[in-house]
Amino acid sequence: MKISVKWLGDYVALPLSVDELARKLTAAGLEIEGLERPGEGLRGVVVAQIKESVQHPNADKLSVTKIDAGGDALVQVVCGAKNYKVGDKVPLATVGTKLPNGMEIKQAALRGVDSSGMLCSSKELGLSEESSGLLILSPDLKPGTPIAEALGLDDVVLEVNITPNRPDALSHLGVAREVSVVTGAALKVPQPKLTESGTPASQSAKVRVEDSVRCPRYAARVVENVTIKPSPQWMQDRLKACGVRAINNVVDITNYVNLEFGQPLHAFDLDKLGGQEIVVRAAKKGEKLTTLDGKERTLDQEELVICDRDRPQALAGVMGGGDSEVTEKTTRLLLESANFLGSGVRRAAKRHALHTEASHRFERGADLDAVVPAIERAAQLLIELAGGTVAPGLIDIYPAEKPPRQVTLRFARVEKVLGVAVPEAEVRRILEALGFQKLAESAGQATYSVPRARVDVEREEDLLEEVARVFGYDNIPAKLPRGLASLAPEPAHSEAERRLRQAMSGAGLDEVVNYSFVAPKNLEVLGLKEQPVALLNPLSVEQSVMRTSLIPGLLENLSRSVRHQVESVCLYETGRAYFRDAEGGQGTRPAAREVNRVAGLVWGLRGGGRSWTQKDARADFYDAKGAVEAVLGALRVEGVTWSPGGPSAYHPRASAEVKLADGTVLGHVGELHPRVVKALGLPEGVFVFELDTEPLYSAARLVPEYHSLPKFPAVLRDLAVVVPVELANDSVRKVILEVGRPLVEDALVFDVYTGKPIPEGKKNLAYALRYRSAERTLTDVEVTEAHQRIISEVNQRLGAALRA
Amino acid sequence: MRDRLQALAEAARREIAGASELPAVEALRVRYLGKKGELSGVLGGMGKLPPEERRALGEVANTVKAELEKLLAEATQRAEDAAMEAQLQGPGLDVTLPGRAVAPGSRHPVSRTMEDIVRTFSRLGFDVAAGPEIELDYFNFEALNLPKDHPARDMQDTFYVDEPSLGHAKKADSSVLLRTHTSPVQVRYMLQRKPPIRAVMPGRVYRRDSDITHTPMFHQVEGLLVDKDVTFAELKGSLDAFVKAFFGSDTRTRFRPSFFPFTEPSAEVDISCTSCGGKGCRVCKQTGWLEVLGSGMVHPNVFTSAGYDPGEVTGYAFGMGVERIAMLRYRIDDLRMMFENDARFLEQF
Repeated sequence: MKISVKWLGDYVALPLSVDELARKLTAAGLEIEGLERPGEGLRGVVVAQIKESVQHPNADKLSVTKIDAGGDALVQVVCGAKNYKVGDKVPLATVGTKLPNGMEIKQAALRGVDSSGMLCSSKELGLSEESSGLLILSPDLKPGTPIAEALGLDDVVLEVNITPNRPDALSHLGVAREVSVVTGAALKVPQPKLTESGTPASQSAKVRVEDSVRCPRYAARVVENVTIKPSPQWMQDRLKACGVRAINNVVDITNYVNLEFGQPLHAFDLDKLGGQEIVVRAAKKGEKLTTLDGKERTLDQEELVICDRDRPQALAGVMGGGDSEVTEKTTRLLLESANFLGSGVRRAAKRHALHTEASHRFERGADLDAVVPAIERAAQLLIELAGGTVAPGLIDIYPAEKPPRQVTLRFARVEKVLGVAVPEAEVRRILEALGFQKLAESAGQATYSVPRARVDVEREEDLLEEVARVFGYDNIPAKLPRGLASLAPEPAHSEAERRLRQAMSGAGLDEVVNYSFVAPKNLEVLGLKEQPVALLNPLSVEQSVMRTSLIPGLLENLSRSVRHQVESVCLYETGRAYFRDAEGGQGTRPAAREVNRVAGLVWGLRGGGRSWTQKDARADFYDAKGAVEAVLGALRVEGVTWSPGGPSAYHPRASAEVKLADGTVLGHVGELHPRVVKALGLPEGVFVFELDTEPLYSAARLVPEYHSLPKFPAVLRDLAVVVPVELANDSVRKVILEVGRPLVEDALVFDVYTGKPIPEGKKNLAYALRYRSAERTLTDVEVTEAHQRIISEVNQRLGAALRA
Repeated sequence: MRDRLQALAEAARREIAGASELPAVEALRVRYLGKKGELSGVLGGMGKLPPEERRALGEVANTVKAELEKLLAEATQRAEDAAMEAQLQGPGLDVTLPGRAVAPGSRHPVSRTMEDIVRTFSRLGFDVAAGPEIELDYFNFEALNLPKDHPARDMQDTFYVDEPSLGHAKKADSSVLLRTHTSPVQVRYMLQRKPPIRAVMPGRVYRRDSDITHTPMFHQVEGLLVDKDVTFAELKGSLDAFVKAFFGSDTRTRFRPSFFPFTEPSAEVDISCTSCGGKGCRVCKQTGWLEVLGSGMVHPNVFTSAGYDPGEVTGYAFGMGVERIAMLRYRIDDLRMMFENDARFLEQF
């Protein structure tokens, strides 16, 4: 909220510079987010009266004026504008002034005539974007007055960030109280005195409150004989400083008192209230109200409205209605100062998408004790500034006044919670300066009555907070926490996850972080059938459902990079996929399941881009599988199986299901289905994988077990077989290892070949076999014999042919 | 015979000296010292000599043989050296061509920063915990002292979950949402164990806000320490230690009173600007300070929600936005870059 420093000065002396004050308020919890000094650029500009104006002897478009700028002698200024007459008051930038637009005013001679300054337009003063001619000022101003003062710009406006727990500070008086607490200066609260006259209010208007829970207090005054006109300049200046538009004296007074006390007020045109009556009640279903912003609103039964005899005239605590609005013709007012329950106001404001000065305060909790002082202050101003007469009798409906809250502070708690011994006398001073009144006292503790404005103070901790913030966080020492009771456990899977990231990085995949929500069509295009968890109020349809796969995000990342001519895209993401959970939703869990995953994508040139070492080799299935294997290797997950096929997003003949040795499905790896590639406008040759990480991490063997090194040498023999192209490497390998047991230690496929001279429909597989015995050095004869046996078995079982 | 030996030696010396290539040297070795070589040829007639002469001649022959062997070895060495020398001549490699390696992938700045924050707190003995992102209103708000209709709920614009999409009708008494902060994990964590507690809770959070400085999803790290007699001074000390460890030992902290419904007293923590050191610059908007953390003493109502007795324990909690810290750390000036995952962005980390 905007706070005028000049206005604050009405209630408290300001012994500090504005910057120092801002620092102190910030340190005490009223964060000053900005300082505006609207008159800052106007130093040297004064009010001046044009006493004489003659044609410039050497220039048609110029005049030579004699100016009274408040000094003893008149000043001669050459001027190009024509929109003034002699006697007008205008701004004069005196010699030496630097205007906001950067222009520096110098003593000059214009076409041979001396000119001591410049008469200014509002644009030249930086007060408006456009202007035609000089800014003509009010005739009441005294020549020589600094222009900032004349225009009410000699103020500093504090932009105060008031946290939602401090509605008491949503006013100049509230901020002034904080100033008095941090500076020690006395607080002066205005004490309005009223002279009442005319017919008693109770005869001109009736007020009835039907819902005293949602409207605990309603005060009203009848003010007659008001004359609607603009409010005085000083009031307009203050409202403007606070960002409130001036409307007319009556409306301005209600706004002014709101900014002064933090108590929203409303003025009804009494003559337009049916039956001259106010009823505070729940709206009836379907009732309509046209609010001051001109919108017709259909009301809900839950909403509290201020009605006359016949119909709603205001949405309680939010906004008044157009029917009973104060107009130029208004002469009799019913002035309302009431307190409404925050939750009801909040709901109504939300429902109608309104956020007003009034709703802002009521939602947070307005001061029940400000209701009457504020209405009296407004009535007094109506007498002074609108010629009103205040009818005898304050209407004040306050059926259930509760005693103020009481909170006890144990002084020893201050040190126990804050970690610093604040002197007890200082604790007392702080609380009393904040308006807490000591009610009782006993050994080591005191009980305070809480001002009703302090809706946030309910318990001892709240008082501790008051002490801490005024004492100053800077004055509390910094200590490290005391020793550990035990070593914190290494979080489950954190090491596994770290290794997974390292493996991904080692495989050349860049990590991405994508949004958890996606467009439904991006899941549909992958053929993901499971219905996603949807948002009720998404920002757009593109982000309207929770992802059930991490792949849509990666595909979007790919599109983006391809658009930017990137030639190699290798990405991965770890994160959650989200599903509805039919069994969930009981007790403390929502009916949703969040599954941790890792997904990756490989596309384009292998190895990160073009390379002279491998000319234009494009990544394929085995690059994606290799990344997955790198992870499995890093986690030492053994016995993983790969079986052909994948879900519908995958190419049916270039994809695999990845299973742990115990049969748990980890996920899939493979080429993206051409249908998906086409639908998304992606380039060809996109390979992806997606795995559940929980089972993967559980299967990880992070601490390897050492096997002693073999004592006897190995014998290496190669084996090449020609088999049908469909036959999987695993099938061949399985036979080799089985038949070769126990001498064959390993059989590594090192070549796969199709084409001449291999017959159509066949392929050549070449294996490097490693023979070894744990007991002795193998002889050539033994190895040859075993090798022959393998050859004939492979041949027999798989229809393979040994290749020369 | 002695003369023949000497002549042979003489010829061999000359020829060996003239041989510069390995095959030539090898040929000479065969020719002179081979089984059927010239030396053997000469010595072949030795059997007919008387024993004394045979002995004397044998000595000479051995001397010649040893000499020739030495000369041949030297010649071999010379020839090998020459061959290697020849090999080292000629065009060298273009050493400016790039090496053959897979460029390692990069880490996303947010994920790396989050991991580093967590690691720093683990040095202070903090455990790591996680919780659901699709969360109940109760844990996200109510259990954290944010009852329904509390105006502080406006501080966090919330995404709500369409409950029929979870397979059940909208429940009147509760709603499901995307957590707006990591704080609900505090309550879940406390409900699962007894104090003392020290834990950090990293994760994704969501707010319905999207503009140049806000993304609808971002990351937070939450921290919680609960024990007997934990003080605000320890909150200050812990966070000050974190900031110095993370941003550098000359970084200063400033604690300002603020408001969070789940802590009291609450504090915003500013650090001296990482860009200008506190003198004032564009990054800190000339203030010299950057707001990086929210913190405070755990509110008694939160302890009550977690089943702890606020008369028995006190504690502190804090939370920080990971993106903000990553932006300061890597001097990224546009938040939205974080989730565009542009290859040209990623490769820089």
